[in-house]
Amino acid sequence: ILLSSLSTHASPLSDEGKVLMNLKASFSNAASELLGWDPLSSDPEKDARVHCAWRGVLCDNLTSSVVSLNLSNLNLGGEISPAIGDLKSIQYIDLKGNRLSGQIPDEIGDCVALTYLDLSGNLLYGDIPFSISKLKLLEELILKNNQLTGPIPSTLSQIPNLKTLDLAQNQLSGDIPRLIYWNEVLQYLGLRGNSLTGSLSPDMCQLTGLWYFDVRGNNLTGTIPDNIGNCTSFEILDISYNQITGEIPYNIGFLQVATLSLQGNRLTGQIPEVIGLMQALAVLDLSENELEGPIPPILGNLSYTGKLYLHGNKLTGSIPPELGNMTKLSYLQLNDNQLVGSIPPELGKLEELFELNLANNNLEGPIPKDISSCTALNKFNVQGNRLNGSIPVELKSLESLTYLNLSSNSFKGKIPFELGHIVNLDTLDLSNNEFSGPVPNSIGDLEHLLQLNLSRNQLTGNLPAEFGNLRSVQVIDMSFNMLSGNIPHELGRLQTIATLILNNNNLDGELPMELSNCFSLTSLNLSYNNFSGHIPLSKNFSRFPPESFLGNPMLHAGCLDSFCGSVHTP
Amino acid sequence: TDDARRRLIGPGSSPPTCRARCGRCYPCRPVHVAIQPGVSFPLEYYPEAWRCKCGNKLYMP
Repeated sequence: ILLSSLSTHASPLSDEGKVLMNLKASFSNAASELLGWDPLSSDPEKDARVHCAWRGVLCDNLTSSVVSLNLSNLNLGGEISPAIGDLKSIQYIDLKGNRLSGQIPDEIGDCVALTYLDLSGNLLYGDIPFSISKLKLLEELILKNNQLTGPIPSTLSQIPNLKTLDLAQNQLSGDIPRLIYWNEVLQYLGLRGNSLTGSLSPDMCQLTGLWYFDVRGNNLTGTIPDNIGNCTSFEILDISYNQITGEIPYNIGFLQVATLSLQGNRLTGQIPEVIGLMQALAVLDLSENELEGPIPPILGNLSYTGKLYLHGNKLTGSIPPELGNMTKLSYLQLNDNQLVGSIPPELGKLEELFELNLANNNLEGPIPKDISSCTALNKFNVQGNRLNGSIPVELKSLESLTYLNLSSNSFKGKIPFELGHIVNLDTLDLSNNEFSGPVPNSIGDLEHLLQLNLSRNQLTGNLPAEFGNLRSVQVIDMSFNMLSGNIPHELGRLQTIATLILNNNNLDGELPMELSNCFSLTSLNLSYNNFSGHIPLSKNFSRFPPESFLGNPMLHAGCLDSFCGSVHTP
Repeated sequence: TDDARRRLIGPGSSPPTCRARCGRCYPCRPVHVAIQPGVSFPLEYYPEAWRCKCGNKLYMP
C-alpha cells in the first residue's frame, strides 16, 4: 500500500498512460470493464510500459507508444474524450458496439498515424468532423449505426488511401459529394439508411476500384445515370428504396454485378432485354417500381441467378416458360402485377425453388401438376388470381411446403385428403374459392399448422373431430360454408388457439363445455348457425361479446339460476 | 487479364471462372456469398457477390 501511494506521488504513468486515464474518465460504467486501467496497480520498475498491458491496449515494442486501442462491445457509455488526439502513434481504433454518445471529437484528426477507425454501433451524434480528412493514412472509416447528422464532408475525398467508407444507418443529409467518386482506391461505399438527397452522378463510375456500392434507403431522386455500364468494377449495386425515376438504361447490361437491387423506386418503362445477358447476376431485384410491359423471355438465360424479384410492378403478358431454365432459382416473386395466361408447367423444372409467389395477378387455368416436381418448395402463393380446376393431388409430394395459399381464386372440387400428408404446413389458406364436399379428416394430421382458413367455400359435412389434434393452431376460420353437425368437444384440446371463426354455417347442437378450456381463445365467432342450449358461463367465455353468438335463435345466454334470457338477433 | 469478368465488347456478364484463383487448392469453384451490410430492419435478404471456393476457403475471383 505504501509503495503504491509513493508511486502515485511519483506520477508513474507515461504521458500516453495519462491520456488513456483521461479517456477512461470520460467513459461511464468503465469501472468494471476497464478495472485494470489503474496506475495504482503498477509495478514501479515498468512504469513507462504499464498501460501497454491494459485491456484493449497494444503498444509498439520499441517506443512503448500506443498503436492500437480495441474496446469494442464493452457496453461503455459516456463520451470519447478529446484527449484521444494525443495518441500520436495510434494506428487502430475500434470502439464499436458500445453506448458512446456525444460528438466525435475534432481532435481525432490529430491521430495522424491512424489507418483504421471503427466507431460503429454507438449513439454518437452531431456532424462528421472535417478534421477526419487530416488522417492521410486512413484506410477504413466505419461510422455506421450511429445518429450522425449533417452532410458527408466532401473533404473525405482528400484521404488518399481510403478503402472502406461505411456511414450506413445514420441521419446524414445533403448530397453525396461528387468528389467522393473520384477515388480509384475506394472499395466499399456504404451509405444505406440515411436521408441523403440529390441524384446519382455519372461520376460514380470513376470509382474504378469499388466493388460495393450501397445507397439503399435514402431520398435520392433523378434517374439512373446513362453511363452506369461504365461501373465495371462493381459487384454489388444497391440503389433500392429511393425515389429514382425514369427508365432502366440499356447500358446497365455492361455491368458485371452479382447483385442488382433497384427495388422500391419509381422506375418506369419496360425491363430491358439486355438484363437477360447479365449471367453474373446472383440477385436481380426490380420489385416495387412502376415497370410495365412483358417479362422478357430472355431472362430465362440467367442460369446462375438465385433470386428474381419482379413483384409490385405493372407487368403484363404471360409468365415466360423460359423462366423454367433458371435452374439455380430459389426465389421467384412475380406477385402483384397484371400477368395473364396460365402458370407454365416448365416452372416444375426449378428443383431448387424455395419460394414461388404469383399472387394478385390475372392468371387463369389450373395449377400444373408439374409444380409438384419443385421438391424444395417451401412457400407457394397464388392468392388473388382467376385460377380454376381442382387441387392436383400430386402437391402431396411437396414435403418441404410450410405455406400454401390458394385463396381468392375459382378452384373447385373436393379438398384432397392428401393435403394432410404435407406435414410441415404452418399456413393453409384455401378460402374464397368454390371447394365443395367434406373437410378431410386428414387436415387434423397437420400438427405444425398455425393458420387454417377454409372460409367462403361450399364445404359440407361435419367439423372433423381430428381438428383437436392441431396442437399448434392459432387461427381456424371455417366461416361462410355449409358445415353441419356439432362442434366436436375435441376442440377443447386446442391450447394455443386465439381465433375460432365458424359463423354462417349450419352448425347445430349445444356448445361443448370443453371450449372453455381453450384459454388462449380471444376471438370467437359462432354467429348465424343453429346452435342451441346455453352459452357456457366460465370465466373464459365471459370475454366474448354478444356479437359472437348472434343469429342463433335457439342459443341462450348463460344463466346462474332461473333468470335466463335469449340472445337477440337484429 | 481478369478472365471472363472483363469483357471489352458488348453487354453481358458471366460468373467468374475461378481458374487459378484458389492458389494450389483444387477444385476451385465460383459460389454466391452473402455480404452483410450491417443491422437493418426489416431484415431482408443480403446482397450477394461471387467468390471462388476451395474446400472451406474463399478467394477473390
